Amino acid sequence: MTKRFGGTTVVDDLSFRIEPGRVTGFLGPNGAGKSTTMRMILGLDTPAAGRALIGGRPYRALDKPLRLVGALLEAGAVHPGRRARDHLAWLAASNALPAARVGELLERTGLSAVAGKRVGGFSLGMRQRLGIAAALLGDPPILLFDEPVNGLDPEGVLWIRTLMKSMAAEGRAVLVSSHLMSEMALTADHVIVIGRGRLIADTGMRQFIESAGPGASLEEAYLRMTAQAVDYSTDAAAIRTQTRGPGR
Amino acid sequence: MTRFTIPLAVLRSEWIKLHTARSTYIALIAAFVLGLGTGLLDVLSVTGHWATMSAADRADFDPVGDPLSGFQLGELALGALGVLAVSTEYATGMIRSTLIATPRRAVVYTAKALILGLFALLASELCAFAAFFVGQLVLRRQHLDVSVTAPHVLRAITFAGLYMAVVTMVGFGLGALIRHTAGAMAAMFALVFLTYPAARAFEGSSYLPDHLTLADAATALATIAPPTGPHAQRIPSFGFACFDLVLYLVAFLGLGAARALRDA
Repeated sequence: MTKRFGGTTVVDDLSFRIEPGRVTGFLGPNGAGKSTTMRMILGLDTPAAGRALIGGRPYRALDKPLRLVGALLEAGAVHPGRRARDHLAWLAASNALPAARVGELLERTGLSAVAGKRVGGFSLGMRQRLGIAAALLGDPPILLFDEPVNGLDPEGVLWIRTLMKSMAAEGRAVLVSSHLMSEMALTADHVIVIGRGRLIADTGMRQFIESAGPGASLEEAYLRMTAQAVDYSTDAAAIRTQTRGPGR
Repeated sequence: MTRFTIPLAVLRSEWIKLHTARSTYIALIAAFVLGLGTGLLDVLSVTGHWATMSAADRADFDPVGDPLSGFQLGELALGALGVLAVSTEYATGMIRSTLIATPRRAVVYTAKALILGLFALLASELCAFAAFFVGQLVLRRQHLDVSVTAPHVLRAITFAGLYMAVVTMVGFGLGALIRHTAGAMAAMFALVFLTYPAARAFEGSSYLPDHLTLADAATALATIAPPTGPHAQRIPSFGFACFDLVLYLVAFLGLGAARALRDA
C-alpha cells in the first residue's frame, strides 16, 4: 500500500500479512505511518496505490464488519454526551448484534457500574475500556489496537496485555501498534517495524531482538533498526530536521 | 452487493443515536416552546385588542397564520437539531466509529437523513397542529376561530409542518457539508434569516429573489389569506413556495452528500 497526503508519501509501498493466533506488534517512530496504515486497513483512508484485504476482501466491501474486525483507534471516537450503554447500543444495532452483547461487554470491561454515565466524564482508562468493549462487541477473529496502553495506569496496562494475549491464544489475529518497547516485548510474539512508511522488519520477536546481538533488549534492537528512519536525529554538532508533512 | 439497500440494522442504529443524544431533546423542547409560545402570544394579543383594532388591522388578521406565526422561530431550533445530528459526529471523532461499523458512506448518509427526516416531519406536524388548535381555543372567546375543515386550513397547517421539516434537513445538509457545528449553525441562520433582507435589495428589478427565500416561501405556505398590502408581490404563489421546498431539500441534501461520501 502507498498513501500520500498532498505531496508527502506517508506510507510507501508497504506490504505485510497479519497471521491469526499471535499478537503482532506494529512498531515505528512517531509519524512512521502506523495510524495511517491502520486507517487504510479499516477503510477510513483510501490508499493511493495497493489495497488492504481482510480475509480476501477490502474493508468497505464487508457487510457486518464488526463481526470480523474489532478496532480500537484513539479513545476519542465517542460522543461525550452519550451514555456508555447507548454508545455500545447503536454500534451493536448497526451490525445486527444482539442487544444482550452490550451488557456482556460492559461486564467484561468492568464498566457495568458506569454504564448509565455520560462518556464525557470518563477517565482515559475508562474510555479505553469502552473502546475495547466496542471492539469486542461482534466477537471478531481480527483485532486492531492503535496505542491501546497510552496514558493507562499499571493496572490498565496489565489488563490490556492479558486481554490481547488471551485473544491471540483463542486463535484471533491481533495487531497492536505502540512505541512502548518494554510493553511490546512483554506482549507481542511477532513484530512489524516501519519507518518513513517503509517496512523495516517483519519477523518473530525473538529473532528481532537477537539480531541486535547477544543480551540486547527490544529497545536496543528497535533503535538500531530505525536509526536511519526517524524524523529528526540528534547530532553532536547540530539538530537536523527533515522537512516532512504532518503524520496522522 | 451491487444493489443499493439501506439495511434495517443501520436505520435502527441511527435512531438509537438520535434519541440518546441530549441535544435532540433540548432542540425539541425549544422548538415547541418557541413554536407554540409565539403563536399563543400573537393570538392573545389579537383577542385582547380586538375591540380597539382598526378595520385594516382586523382585515390583516389570519386565524390560521397568526397561531402559526411561531414556527418561524421554532424552525431555528429544528435547523439546529439537523446541524447537530451530523456535525457532532465529525467534531467528536465519532464518525470513525460509525464508518468502521458501516463502511459504506452512502448507506450511512441515507440512513441518517431518513431517520432525521421522519423524526423532524413528525415533530414539525405535531408542533404545527398543536399551535393551530391551541390558537383556536383562544380565538374562540372572540368568535374569531376557524374550523380545521374550512378551505385551505388543513393545507396551511400541514405545509407549515412540512416547511419546518425541510429547514431541519437544510441544517442537516449544511452540517454534513461544513462539519463544524458553529460554522454550520451560522450558515443555517444566515440562510433562513439574512437571505430575506438581501433579496429585498433586488426588488427594484425583480421579485424572483424574494420568491426564492425561505422566509417568503413560509409566508405563502402557512396562510389561508392571499397576501395584501404594498409588498404582496414579494410573496410567491403557493405552487412556487412548494417548488422552493423541493429546491432547498435537494440542493442541501445534495451538497451534504457530496462531502459526506468522501473520506472522513
